[in-house]
Amino acid sequence: MIFKNIHYLILALIFIIILMGILSLATGHLAISPSELVETALGEGSRRNELLLFEFRLPRLFIAILAGAALGVAGTLLQGITQNELADPGILGINAGAGLSVVLYLTYVSNRETTSPLGQMMTLPFAAFLGGLLAACCIYIVAWKNGVTPIRLILVGIGVNAGFGAVLTLFQLRMNQSAFNQVTVWLSGSIWNAHWSAVISLLPWVFILIPLSLYKSRTLNLLQLGDEMATGLGINTERERIKLVAIAVALTGASVSVAGGISFLGLGAPHIARKLVGNKHQRLVPTAACIGALILLISDMIARNLFAPSELPVGLIVAFLGAPYFIYLLITTEA
Amino acid sequence: MKHLWTTSVMLSASFMLAACGNSQVEAPEEETTEIPEEAAEGPKTLIDGLGNEVEIPSNPEKVLGSYLEDYLVSLDVTPVAQWSVSDGESIQDYLQEDLSGVPLIPHDLPYESVLEYEPDLMIIRDAVEQDMYEQYAQIAPTYVLKSSPTEWRETLTEVGEVLGMEGKAESVLETYDAKAQEKAEELSAVADSESAAAVWMVNNSLFVVHPERSSGAVMYGDLGLEIPEVVSNLSSDADWAAISLEELAQMDVDHLFFVNSDGPEAELFEDRLWQNIPAVQQDQVYQYGPETSWLYYGPIASEQVLDNVVDSITK
Repeated sequence: MIFKNIHYLILALIFIIILMGILSLATGHLAISPSELVETALGEGSRRNELLLFEFRLPRLFIAILAGAALGVAGTLLQGITQNELADPGILGINAGAGLSVVLYLTYVSNRETTSPLGQMMTLPFAAFLGGLLAACCIYIVAWKNGVTPIRLILVGIGVNAGFGAVLTLFQLRMNQSAFNQVTVWLSGSIWNAHWSAVISLLPWVFILIPLSLYKSRTLNLLQLGDEMATGLGINTERERIKLVAIAVALTGASVSVAGGISFLGLGAPHIARKLVGNKHQRLVPTAACIGALILLISDMIARNLFAPSELPVGLIVAFLGAPYFIYLLITTEA
Repeated sequence: MKHLWTTSVMLSASFMLAACGNSQVEAPEEETTEIPEEAAEGPKTLIDGLGNEVEIPSNPEKVLGSYLEDYLVSLDVTPVAQWSVSDGESIQDYLQEDLSGVPLIPHDLPYESVLEYEPDLMIIRDAVEQDMYEQYAQIAPTYVLKSSPTEWRETLTEVGEVLGMEGKAESVLETYDAKAQEKAEELSAVADSESAAAVWMVNNSLFVVHPERSSGAVMYGDLGLEIPEVVSNLSSDADWAAISLEELAQMDVDHLFFVNSDGPEAELFEDRLWQNIPAVQQDQVYQYGPETSWLYYGPIASEQVLDNVVDSITK
């Protein structure tokens, strides 16, 4: 634990997020100078800069921040519930379950003729939530035997991931080539097609579920003591665990429905947060949210600029940064 | 799945309409000087391939139609930017006489690249691009073509309609048809009811052109060459269908047009099977490089293929 006063840390992190956010808005294939940025923000910029800023870059920025925060918190919850530092919605297959469900929902259930566009966007996170929940149930049924060892959880997660991936491939093979490519890019995590509507669909989930997670901090802390102790302290462990998993899956689902399957963020953000503020969830949850937002924001900036004007899927950048860390954890975690 | 992007695109549109209601989504009013001829009526509204109402400016000056440059050039319209892959590693070489100096735009049309050229009209076709429709529509009125990419005549007519150049498009077609007929007669004098095939080699794989598409349509449809049995038996929906060297060796064909993307050193030429193909032995293989128009669609591509075929066979 480095920081005693969490308030200063959170303020500092938010300050960095804003700073990087401004940097992110100004960079890209078409550069915007600081003075143009101010002019445009005040509504006096050129039409080109207005489009660039308000319609292309700003929604992306918000999605990166919201989805990053959601994944950071989802990872924190999962790691807290399973008492397993290797838990991550991507690695466990919750992303894959949510992704499969979104693809099926868009292909078979909802279409433009029967659902209004905004209605569809708003219902997407629910579809993702159900798919993620299915994946979580699979993991729970297969892996849980009075708790679960880290390696067992990861192995089952890999299995669930592969299973959902296979089903998804089955559907993908029936798509035409361009839809196939889109699904592939989207599943590897992409916010290149960001819209304000996506921001709106994400907002309620993030703003309800993250405070709720914070509210559940005490329960999470008690769960760390083991089931017996927690029960002794008046916690209905089984029921609480299910509630918390549902929150984590909902956060993941919301983020998957707009940003695709971004892996390793839910793993890395809580780890960094834990190094900064220690194990108390009251401190961990907000810190992980900020760290998650910051990582995704920076990754998106890299994804946009590395090969500008072409873009990389942001999930690739996160994975590129996160995978080595995951391997390091695997090596250092005892079986 | 296509819904995923299109709908998110659609709904953001509705949201943006609500959010910024005024200027942005509307087509910019063109106040340039009236150019007489065909653009007399002022802005018009067309329904495009996605069912959107697109307000076409009356006299678009900065047109962007990536991979539709053939049609634009044939109508004497120079686009603001031209299609390219990997930073210009691949461009449409056969059009460079008209397009030299036109800046390149990546084939996947990133928004910021499009914005860079600030077009006042965009014409697009690809499915991937359709998904980004609403973003483009904010930059400029964007028309998604209805016609099939394999029908260059329909495409030309539609592009002409969008640009308010119906007459010009028709005359391009008439000129082409007249030339095709003339060339066909020229050809039948020396090669009556002879067969031909176009084979494309890329990365040591061979492909043969679909008899009704691209340069296939020109050879068989416009010039009246016979379709070899092997070609008509290939049941593939691709413009270029994969064919093995063995199948090619069995092809009974009088004239073989060979589009070589691998260069003169390709392994294929060392192969005994290749050396034993009748057309190869009788020196009736005509080689063309990837810079020629054999792989493309459009009035200019087709006209160049007409010339290539007749020049090769009659020389």
